This record gives sequence, structure tokens and C-alpha cells, in this order.
Amino acid sequence: MVKVSKEVMQKAATLLSDFLVCPLSKQPLRVCEESNSLISDAIAVSFPIKNGIPCLVPRDGKILEEEDEDASKPDNDANLYAGNEDDKGRSS
Amino acid sequence: MAFGTVTKRFGNKLFPALSSTPRLLHSHATSFGFKHVNEEEKARMVGDVFTSVAASYDTMNDLMSAGLHRLWKERLVSMLNPFPGMKHLDVAGGTGDVAFRILDNINRVKQRRLPNAFKVSLESETQIYVCDINPNMLNVGKQRATEKGYGEDGSLVWVEGNAESLSFQNDSMDGYTIAFGIRNVTHIEKVLSEAHRVLKPGGRFLCLELSHVSLPIFKELYDLYSFSVIPRIGEMVAGDRESYQYLVESIRRFPPQEKFASMIADAGFQKVEYENLVGGVVAIHSGLKI
Repeated sequence: MVKVSKEVMQKAATLLSDFLVCPLSKQPLRVCEESNSLISDAIAVSFPIKNGIPCLVPRDGKILEEEDEDASKPDNDANLYAGNEDDKGRSS
Repeated sequence: MAFGTVTKRFGNKLFPALSSTPRLLHSHATSFGFKHVNEEEKARMVGDVFTSVAASYDTMNDLMSAGLHRLWKERLVSMLNPFPGMKHLDVAGGTGDVAFRILDNINRVKQRRLPNAFKVSLESETQIYVCDINPNMLNVGKQRATEKGYGEDGSLVWVEGNAESLSFQNDSMDGYTIAFGIRNVTHIEKVLSEAHRVLKPGGRFLCLELSHVSLPIFKELYDLYSFSVIPRIGEMVAGDRESYQYLVESIRRFPPQEKFASMIADAGFQKVEYENLVGGVVAIHSGLKI
């Protein structure tokens, strides 16, 4: 629906990693442009950026596999609260 | 404001210890309105409420408070005393209501004080972070910002996050506001301690929340309005009676003014004060990190 230009995303992402920290470890976040996510190296968790908004709710985080494969998966759960079953599955 | 002060005084005089709200002891059980639910369930149920009402949230606030919520938020922002270049965090403010007011306020200050030459550089420094756990509320806010032309200079930053574990650095904010949000969290203490963590020394914590009315007669009317009228308005306007039933119940569950003030002090804040508006229908609590 809403197309966000790559330029805007990049500008936002650079800005984001300046002041945002991992909500769990409070350590710095790294921008991963490939997967459009913020990565907390301290605890190897990736947080998605959706519609230009970083999602840093702890349970939005995905534990990184060695190849970063989780982080590069497309997100099907943009509407977090619409899919409660899905939500439950992820948090366990 | 005058009404608030007057009712508070009379209330105290007539019934000094009137507080009829049952409170839960802290345990792993938490409350969802009057229902007892476990903690994870509360987070999900509150999420459902706000997903359900996101689109009509501000309209409903207007209807339920007869437009008063605007004045309350104005009061909150004027107590914050925003300044150009400030770093501010507004929690649970997904629809942008408080953030836009802060920006308006800063722009007014700027027009008074500064020659045009400094405008650009200062604008780029002001940063209002809007943090909300609900993506639907954030999307509404982001869209409204675009429509109204707020944040074109990069002064607005939208972040989906949990007030209980914020993703902002220690000592990074000049101000912290939470309006009609803290009542809905699972652990109030965690929210307060996170607020304290992210504020700079000298930073101000301000919380606007629906609170407790103690003046007799007014209290009866308020209860009648809350339990009979509000769920019906919710049903008609937002098409969702349950969410507004939750709203009025959750207000009764929230700690009374004094108790909440002591929780703020326990989180490490100094100079903790509160002000009742409209006889305690809402209260603004404030604290300083020193």
C-alpha cells in the first residue's frame, strides 16, 4: 500500500541506529539493510523495520540463525495484534 | 482547572478518606478491567482493544470527554515546557496527539525567541520520539503527521516498543510523557523505572491518566456516566462495546492518586507532585530525575 522510497528508509535507518538500543540488552543496534532490520549483536536478535517504523517490542525480535536466514524472511505478521494465534506461537 | 481545585478541596474536606476502589495486590495475576487474567493475556487483550479502536480513537476521546481531553493534553504539554532542540519521548502516544502539541508549542516558542536564521539548524535538532506498542496506532499517527505536515524536518520519530523495556539509551531524554497509557500496561513499576533510566538528570516525567473522583454526588454521576453511557457510545461509534467496558473498568483498577505518586517516588523520581483536573477524573503526575 504505502511505498517508502529506499532513500528515505536509509536515512531513517541511519538515524535510528544512532539513538536506539536493544530493548533487552540496552546495547547498540546495527542496521541490516539487506533484511531491513535492526540487529542486536549482543544477544543475536533481529528486530524488523516495518513501514519505516522499527519494531522493538521484545517479542518482535527473532533469534538469529547463523546464516541470518530468519532476518531475511519476508514478514507476514505486519499486523501483530490481528493474528493472535500467530502471536502466541512466536512468543513461546 | 479551577473546577478541579475546588472539587478537590471540597472532596477532601467532606470525605477525607473516601476511596472505594478495590485494588489488587501485585502478583502474577493482573487485571483486565474487572477480570483477573494472567500477564501475557493482559498484554494481548489490551493489544486487541487498541487494534480495534485505533481508527476511531481520537473521535471517541472527543465524544467521551466532551472535548476535554484536548485541554488536558494542552495542560500536560504546558507543564512540560518544551523547548527547541529538546529530545522528548512520548510513550503510548501512537496517534501523535501529544507529540503534535509538543511540536506546536516548540514552534510558538521559536517564533517568539529566534530570528529566522537559526530556525533551520534548531529544527533539525528537536526530536520527539513517539513510542507505542501497537502498530495500528502508530500507523494512524504517522499518516496524520503526513496529512498535517508534522515532522517533515525529521523531528518526529515513530518507534514500536514496549514501555516496560524501552529501546532508548540511558540519560538520553529531556522529557518523558505518557498520556492515557500507563493504566494499560502490565507492570507499572517497570514502566516507571524505564522512564527514569532514559531521562537525563534534570529530565521531567509527566503522566496524564484517568484517575479517581472522590467528591460525592459527582462521583455517582461519573460512575453512572462511565458504566451506562460510555460502553454505549463505544458500541455506536467504534462498533465495540467490550473495549470501552474495559476502559471504564481499568480506570477503577488504577491506583489512586496518592498511591501512584508514591510509586513514582519509589522509581527514584524527586519532587513528585500531582494535579487533579475536573475533580480527579484525570490527574497529571510529575516527577524529576535528579
